[in-house]
Amino acid sequence: MDPMEGGFNGSDYEREEDDEATNHLRDRFRLSTISIAESEAKRNNMEISQPVVVCISDLAFKYAEQLAEDLELFAHHASRKSVNMNDVILSAHRNKNLADSLRSFSYDLMKGKEPQSEKKRKKSSSKEDKTLHSVLHIDP
Amino acid sequence: MENSFDQDLIYAIFKMAWSKKALEREKNEEGETSKGEERAGTSKRNRPTSANSNAVKLSCELLRLFVTEAVQRAATIAEAEGGNKIEATHLERILPQLLLDF
Repeated sequence: MDPMEGGFNGSDYEREEDDEATNHLRDRFRLSTISIAESEAKRNNMEISQPVVVCISDLAFKYAEQLAEDLELFAHHASRKSVNMNDVILSAHRNKNLADSLRSFSYDLMKGKEPQSEKKRKKSSSKEDKTLHSVLHIDP
Repeated sequence: MENSFDQDLIYAIFKMAWSKKALEREKNEEGETSKGEERAGTSKRNRPTSANSNAVKLSCELLRLFVTEAVQRAATIAEAEGGNKIEATHLERILPQLLLDF
C-alpha cells in the first residue's frame, strides 16, 4: 500500500531513524559538517543557509554509511578483516580525479609519519574550538 | 585543509554501520535456516571488521571532499545567479552530478 514499500530499502531508513546511537552519531557528524561547510563557504565569499548545510550533512552521513559497507565488502573480498587505505581509494575508483587526490593524500599520510604529520595533527586539534564555535552559533 | 572530520567519529560511524550489517546478515541467515527459532545466539557475530588508522584518516578526507565539493559547486551556481547566499535551489541544481561523482 505504502508507496515506499516497493522502494529498495525504504523500510531500512525508517529503522535507522529510530536508532538512538545512530542519532547521536548523526548529530556529532552534523556539527563537524557545519564547521567544514561554513568555512568552505567563507572561502568562496558566500553565505550558506542552514537547511542546505543540514541537507549536505545528511547526504554525507548516508554516504559514510554506504562507504562503510563498501569498505567492508572490499576488505572481505581480499580476505582481510581490516580495512586499509587501498580499500578507500578503490571506493572512489569511478572518479579518476577523486581517486588521484585520495592517492596523493595517502602518500602524504604514509611518508608523513614524522614531523609533517605532527603538524597536521596539531592543526586538526584546533578544529576542536571551531566545532565548539559552531555549536554556539547554531544553538539559537 | 584546516578542519576535517574527527577520526574517532568516522570510525564510530563505520563500526555502527558494520554491526548493523552484521545483525541484518544474522537475521537473514536465521530466517532461512529456521524460521521459528528465537534469535538469541548472537555469538555468531565474531566477524568484527576493523580499519587501520590511515584508512580512517583517508575516509575522513573523502568525506571532507564530499562536503567541500557540495559547497563549492553550489557556490558557483549561487554566484552565477548573482546571489551571495547558498540556498536550497542551488544545492538542488548540483546534486545529481555530485551524487554521480561520489
